[in-house]
Amino acid sequence: MNWWSRLQRSVSSEAAPEHLSVSSLPLPVRRLLFAVPACLLALTACSTIAPYDQAAYEHATSTKAEVLLLMDRATTSYSQNTDKIDAVILDLRKAYEYDKGRARNQDTVTLWTKLLSPDALFGAFIRYWKTKGQLPSGYIEVKKKDVEDAFDQIIQLEQGKQKLGTT
Amino acid sequence: MATFDTNSFVHTVLTNASNLAAKLFEGYVGQAEADTRAFLQASKDRMAQAASLYQQKQIDKDEFEDLVHDQKVLAEMHALKNAGLASAAVDTFVDGVIKIMIDAALAALKI
Repeated sequence: MNWWSRLQRSVSSEAAPEHLSVSSLPLPVRRLLFAVPACLLALTACSTIAPYDQAAYEHATSTKAEVLLLMDRATTSYSQNTDKIDAVILDLRKAYEYDKGRARNQDTVTLWTKLLSPDALFGAFIRYWKTKGQLPSGYIEVKKKDVEDAFDQIIQLEQGKQKLGTT
Repeated sequence: MATFDTNSFVHTVLTNASNLAAKLFEGYVGQAEADTRAFLQASKDRMAQAASLYQQKQIDKDEFEDLVHDQKVLAEMHALKNAGLASAAVDTFVDGVIKIMIDAALAALKI
């Protein structure tokens, strides 16, 4: 009886012996038994996305609160708020740089880039505020919903990442 | 002499890995669908609000176009987040299968 027949018999037949000695298994089967876990371990080492990071999560949630509070001030002039604007932008840069320094974290970095780009969302808001001096309350109201939604994408992605030590 | 119950090992790994995949990936798909639906509704409401503000001349053309452009960027962000969550689900699945294999191997090993 060849090794394949023995394996099939041991897996499917009720008449198969209850226990099979590892050393009695043919070499290919023994190799398989060791190769499969080895491959899975190698896959784990090449995990596709960074694990959850509490500091990154806190950066995102705290800057979200700061940004939304700052946006409410845009009915007053930009020049009156430069200190506050600079402080919030500095915190955002710190959060972005922190995430940029993490391995396998490109998705989160891209989310930050979209939020802060001068073409949309918070980046565009600051650009308009600076250019126009102050902004209408209707625009701020809708823009805040967009910016909040953008922050939520970063926060939800972080929350969904694997917590190390749990499965 | 140590023996290994191959039948039990294979059966346990296949059953548990299949259950884990069903739990993880069905949950992920449902979550992604709900997220997309919620975004589309919220985006529709914001667009309507922006259009109304523009018609009433409470915001100018640049501001209106900016708010419309935001919806496109937000759609990309939702897609990117869901892709990231899918990657996280794959990682969780791989780790889960390893744990299942180790547990099953220990259970199948008779010393």
